[in-house]
Amino acid sequence: MPIKAIPKISKGQNGLGAFILQCRKLDFHYCDWAGSSVGMNGFIKSVLPKFAAQSPQVEITVSPRPKRHPHIIGHYVNGKQKAICVKNMEPLEILKKAEILRNASGEKNKRVLKAVTSRNPSVRGIWSPYHGKPLVV
Amino acid sequence: MPGSRRTQLRTPSVFLKLRNTQLALGLLSLKLSPGAHEEVTDSRAAPQGPAGGKDDDDINITKRCEIGNYEDNNNTTSYFLHKTNLKQYSAAGTAQALYEDYQNESESPNPNRNGSQFPGLPSPPPHRALESAKLAALHARLNLSERLPLQSLARCLVDSTADESLQFNNTHLAFLGRTIVNYHVSEYLVAKYPRLPMEIVFAAMKGYAGNRALYAIARQWGVEPAAAPGEEVDPGLLQFDVKKTGTELDAAVGYKRKELDKIIKFKFRRGISSRVVFDDEFGDTVSMGEHERILERQALEWRAQQGILSEDEMIQMEDPVPLEIETAEDRKFASYANFSRAVVGAVFLHSGREVAKNFVRSHVLSRRLDLEEMFSFSRPTRELAKLCQREGFERPVARILSETGRLSRTPVFVVGIYSGRDRLSEGWGPSIEHARLTAAMNGLKSWYLYSPGDDVRMPSETYDENAKPWTPLYVDMGEVIV
Repeated sequence: MPIKAIPKISKGQNGLGAFILQCRKLDFHYCDWAGSSVGMNGFIKSVLPKFAAQSPQVEITVSPRPKRHPHIIGHYVNGKQKAICVKNMEPLEILKKAEILRNASGEKNKRVLKAVTSRNPSVRGIWSPYHGKPLVV
Repeated sequence: MPGSRRTQLRTPSVFLKLRNTQLALGLLSLKLSPGAHEEVTDSRAAPQGPAGGKDDDDINITKRCEIGNYEDNNNTTSYFLHKTNLKQYSAAGTAQALYEDYQNESESPNPNRNGSQFPGLPSPPPHRALESAKLAALHARLNLSERLPLQSLARCLVDSTADESLQFNNTHLAFLGRTIVNYHVSEYLVAKYPRLPMEIVFAAMKGYAGNRALYAIARQWGVEPAAAPGEEVDPGLLQFDVKKTGTELDAAVGYKRKELDKIIKFKFRRGISSRVVFDDEFGDTVSMGEHERILERQALEWRAQQGILSEDEMIQMEDPVPLEIETAEDRKFASYANFSRAVVGAVFLHSGREVAKNFVRSHVLSRRLDLEEMFSFSRPTRELAKLCQREGFERPVARILSETGRLSRTPVFVVGIYSGRDRLSEGWGPSIEHARLTAAMNGLKSWYLYSPGDDVRMPSETYDENAKPWTPLYVDMGEVIV
C-alpha cells in the first residue's frame, strides 16, 4: 500500500460560508420589590419585546429572582456563560448590556495585538537563508 | 485509453449516490407535504380509523393517513425481522418460530411504545413544536426559510433511538440528507482535486461528511441534547438514547460483503477497487445490523439444538464473530450527525435542490480540511520514480541545492529533485536522506493535489435552468501503483 490516509476532521470557520450567532440564550432576572430592579422592570415591559424581535436567533427567558439584584446571563454555543449585573441601570443602559452579551462570541476576553490572525500559511513564505543569492562578505 | 482506469473506478460511487438520491426522493415525496403533521398527529391519536372526508383535499389526507398507519405498524424491529427472515434462513419454520418468540418477548414487558413503565409518547407531539422557544431560535440561527416549518425541524431532532416510529423520527430525512451531503462533497472533491488518490478521497469524505464532522457541525449550531427522550421534553432539544442501537437505513451506498465475517475476524485486506464497489461512501464496510446478528445467532443455536448444523455453521458456532455493538460515544456522534443530515434533507424537501446545495456548501464545504496533511507515504522516492516513468518524464535525480553545518550538531540540507532540467520539488532536513525523502513527498503531493481552480464546474450545476451543456471534467487516471 503506497499511500495511506491520516484521518482528519474538518474545522469550522464561522462566517466563512454560513454565520452562526454564538449567543444561543439570554436569561433576564428581575425582582418585583427591590429598588435596584426598577430599570430592569421598565426594560422588560417596554424594550425587551422589540429587542427579542430583532434577535430571533436567541432564546430569551425572563424569570424573577426575589431579593437579588437584576442580572442578564448569556449562554453561548461553546458552552460558556457570561453574566452582567444591571442593578440601578436605566432601560437603555440595560439594552446596551444585552446587546454586548448577544454579540459576544462566548470566548474569554483577549487582548488582540495583531490586526490579522489566520490559519492559512503566509502567502509570501518565510525568509530562508538557503535560497536566493548568497551573501557576499 | 490511458485515462480510463480512474474514471471507471470513480464513476460507480457517484452514480450510486445519484441513484439513491432519486430513490430516496421517490420514497419521501409523500412524507413531508405541507400540513402533513396534523394528519400524522391524528393517526397516532386514533390509529384505527382516519376520518374520511368529502372534499378532494380530505381524500388526500385520508390516503396519507393510511400510508402513515401502515408504516407505524410496520415498525423498525419488524422491518429487520422481515429482512432477516428473507435473507438468512432457508428453513421457514425456524424463522417463523423466532419471529413469534421475538414478538412475545418484545410485547410482554413493555406495553408502551416508548419502552418505559410510564405511559406516554416516546417523543413530543408535533403540534408542540410551535410553542418551543429553543426550536424557533434554532430555526432563526440556521437562517432557514419560512417554507421549512418548525414541525419539520422538530422531527429532525428526534433520533431513531428516541422514537422507533418512522413517522415521527428523522430516519428518512437523515437518509435523504446523507445522499445529498455525500453527493455534493464527493463531486467537490473529485472535480476540484482530480488527481487525489482514492484512499485520500475516502478519508476526505469522512473528514467533511463523516459522523464526527457532522457532529461538530451540529454542536456549532448550538444544538443541546435532552437528558432523556420523552413526551414532556422541549421539542427544541436533540433526543436520543445512547443505550440503544440506532436503526438508520443502512446500505445507502454499497453492499454487504459475503466475506464480512472473515474481514472482521481475520482482518482481511480490502483492495481499493473493491472498496469503491462494495463499501460505503467512506470506504468502510457496510455492516450487518445488530438485530440481524442477534437473530442469526439465535437461529444458529436453534439449529444446533435440532442437530442440523452444517460444517461451516459448526465452526461458526465454536468461534463466533464478535458482535459489533455501538458504543455510547458512537451513538452520540451518529445522533448529532443524523440531525445535521436530516436538516439538509428537510431543506431539500421544503426549499428545493438549489437551496439544499447552498446549505451544504455554506455549512459543510466551507469548513477547513487540510488535504496536504492527510498523506502518509511509505516509499516516496520509489513512487515518484514510477510516476515519472508513467508520465514519460526523465528519471528523477536528487541534488543538494545548499547546505550548512554538515559537521555541526544542527546541520541543514536542502535537496531538489530534478527530472532532466526541470526541478520537480524541493525539501529540507537535518540529513541528506531525510531531505531527499521530504523532497520526494513534496513532489508527490504537488502532483496529487493539482487543482484546476476554485471556479471548476460541478456536475450538479447542470441541473440549473438555462445551464450550458456539460463539458467533461479532467479526471486523472489515478495514483501510482508501486
